[in-house]
Amino acid sequence: MPKTDTAEGKDTGRTLLRAEGISKGFPGVWEHLILNEIDFDVKEGEVHTLLGENGAGKTVLANILSGFYGSTAGKIYIQGEEVELNSPQDGLEHGVGMIHQEVMLAKPFTVAENVTLGTDDSDFSYPLDKVESRVYRLSQKYGLEVDPTVRVGDLSAGEQQRAEILKVLYHEPQVLILDEPTSLLTPQEAQQLFKVLRGMADEGFGIVFITHKMEEVMEVSDRVTVLKLGKVMGETDIEETDEEELTEMMLDEKIPIHLERKEFKKQSTSLSVEDIYVTGPRGNTQLNGVSLDLHEGEILGVAGVSGNGQSELIEAITGLREIDEGSLIIEGEDMTNASPREIQEKGVAHMPEKRREIGVVEPMTVGENMVLRDYRDSPFSWHSVLNRSAITNHAEEIIEEFDVIAPDIWKSETRILSGGNIQRMILGRESWRDPEIIIASHPTHGLDRRAVSHTWELFIDLRDSGSAILLVSEDLDEVISLSDRIAVMFEGNVVGIVDSDEADKSELGMIMTGA
Amino acid sequence: MLTRIYEQVKPILNSFLAGLIGLAVGAIIMAIWGYAPFGAYDALFTAIFGSFYGFSSTLARATPLILTGLTFAIGVRGGIFNIGAEGQVFMGALAAISVSLLSLPSGIHVLVAIIAGAMAGAIWSLPPSFLKITRGVHEVISTIMLNWVALYFGMYAVVEWLGDPQRAEKSISAATTSRLPIMVSGTSLTYALFVSLAFSLLIFFLLWRTTLGFELRVVGQNPAAANYAGIKENYSINSTFILGGLAAGVAGALQIIGHPPTYALYSDLSTVRNLGFDGIGVALIGRNHPIGVIFAAVFFAGLNVGARTMQITAGVPLEMVRIIQGVIIIALAAPELIELSNQLLPAVRNWINEVKAS
Repeated sequence: MPKTDTAEGKDTGRTLLRAEGISKGFPGVWEHLILNEIDFDVKEGEVHTLLGENGAGKTVLANILSGFYGSTAGKIYIQGEEVELNSPQDGLEHGVGMIHQEVMLAKPFTVAENVTLGTDDSDFSYPLDKVESRVYRLSQKYGLEVDPTVRVGDLSAGEQQRAEILKVLYHEPQVLILDEPTSLLTPQEAQQLFKVLRGMADEGFGIVFITHKMEEVMEVSDRVTVLKLGKVMGETDIEETDEEELTEMMLDEKIPIHLERKEFKKQSTSLSVEDIYVTGPRGNTQLNGVSLDLHEGEILGVAGVSGNGQSELIEAITGLREIDEGSLIIEGEDMTNASPREIQEKGVAHMPEKRREIGVVEPMTVGENMVLRDYRDSPFSWHSVLNRSAITNHAEEIIEEFDVIAPDIWKSETRILSGGNIQRMILGRESWRDPEIIIASHPTHGLDRRAVSHTWELFIDLRDSGSAILLVSEDLDEVISLSDRIAVMFEGNVVGIVDSDEADKSELGMIMTGA
Repeated sequence: MLTRIYEQVKPILNSFLAGLIGLAVGAIIMAIWGYAPFGAYDALFTAIFGSFYGFSSTLARATPLILTGLTFAIGVRGGIFNIGAEGQVFMGALAAISVSLLSLPSGIHVLVAIIAGAMAGAIWSLPPSFLKITRGVHEVISTIMLNWVALYFGMYAVVEWLGDPQRAEKSISAATTSRLPIMVSGTSLTYALFVSLAFSLLIFFLLWRTTLGFELRVVGQNPAAANYAGIKENYSINSTFILGGLAAGVAGALQIIGHPPTYALYSDLSTVRNLGFDGIGVALIGRNHPIGVIFAAVFFAGLNVGARTMQITAGVPLEMVRIIQGVIIIALAAPELIELSNQLLPAVRNWINEVKAS
């Protein structure tokens, strides 16, 4: 879609911020560029939404525009003048402020004290009155209600975010970038935020709004730019598009194949989740009455944009997170709030999303990590004494079968392994027993093509031999290719279950984004 | 290949380097204050290695340090900062004196005394463990406080209950049946050394060859992964405390039943004081490894023993050795300092640019 340079939208005025040909590659992380020649601009008085899946590069672009990251190539113009932004302070000085997805405030300090950080408005003698009254005036002006004298730790998520916005507004920016600002908010708080953003746009601010939720795009934007895998897929006025077109742009165009497998006979239920509620650390509900049944010989895919409760569901099932209400039945036994060990001993294997953080112990050796969850059992230990040769054999088998590249089983620390090798190691470690139930989270993330197809074959084999597999992935192709049924999660709930051979990618995409 | 060998021996090299830096800085300080550093080091090392007597004394001094070093090392492996060895040593020593009131055949009496000391040390490690697990109290606070409780309890016990009727300044001596035989006559080196060495090997085996040690190290490195692996974190923390307490308790017992000529505690507990704190330095130099701790303890003990000779023959004050020990520990912490400065440098550069720009 060609870029329109003439301002046709109703609210658009002069261009405040323009980025040209922005590219970004992080050294050694990925071979491809995270951002590939992005053009983007925001005008006075508009809300310009950046839409895209996770990993599309939205946050990276926002960080470059606000000076948090440098770019590998490309130019940034503010009010028509080329600038170089080396730090967030640079960004603020040029009138670009960013509100991050995670709250970046010091919790033990008051709102006013947090605002003061990084300014020269208070000296050693600590006269905060000036700051407090100014923050108060700003909060009245923009309808961002929050008491500047209250400690940030005592505020709700919505209030913390308002405080964060005030902190940026204090520097009198012209462009405000908000990275997925609604992810921690209740629907009511989100509505309130949208009202504030509209009001600010009318005041003449240029607002960059980042989201992956379709309804929000339609509600708040004047213009929308769709990003996919670091490229701009299109840029359009909101009035000239609809949800369906945007969804199509956002997702991949290639058609996934439903992989061949034995016929699925609805056999006995291996695991069932009944009306589970889970509360997050801030008292917000993260799982909202989720129910699922997982059968023997079935792959149940869980699709959804990340942050909609998938991680919490997996943690609840594997005993890593407390279940407030509802029950978890594994192989006919009530395992609600059982310990991770008890659940593991029921034959549940777990390939976690956070591989380096919890999947392995990085400073320990490859051999030790190969039996991280099996060391208690024969033949790896006998009367509490570890059997090194049995562990060596086991590790060698996994290394051989899964193409793990590890210099030495007993001398190499696991931290030196690449992410892909660690993932292959975990796949081997968690699947060698042919477990009855496998809970897999993003199992192929970061693997190359060959390893992906190997993993897919492995999953189909395990399924055909009777394992029940719960597969959480953001990769819709993977979910459709592997699953027998697909459950779609949105805002802490399962909003739909479809048979995989009837699944349509754009339809799934619509359900995923709450459209 | 070479880099891999380097990775393997790096901790040892670091410790050696730190030792050299410590000695070098010590020499500079001595030179500044007008002492002759070479004469001092000559005296120091002659005292340690120059005579059989000196080396025996060094080993005798190293005997309890190995164990208190283990206490701290086990703590680090298991993820706790256990500085309670000091108090646990006192309790172990008191227990060993107490059981010498029993009359038992000699071999068994030694065993009973060691076990009693170990138990006393382990029991004294339980309150910090309990407080940490149930109330989240940090072990540094609780162990330091209990060190003082143990000190004054020990002084009171020596005077009130275990006092020597003939000599008011000390406790009764360990019964002859519970004493460990002297290895080198004329020195305080006894077969207690072998108890320490055996304990080190036992801990080595426990940490790297058993499921308990495996769990303990996983919890120490990554509690979240431990939870994922089905390891009970609290059980593991408690085991870490108890193992450390056992080691320190044995150290206390050995200072009674294996420490001629008195085989007793003085009322100010001087024969067992600072062993626990020196253990922290020993563990650091020994890289928290049971085998490394043995060599580090000998080195530390050598400095302590040689310091006296250094004072007498070279006229350099005893405290110089404390300075050297301090510098060594700082030098060992230096790699982390370098890392920190690497992180700080870009910030400083930005700041300089800003100043230039304005």
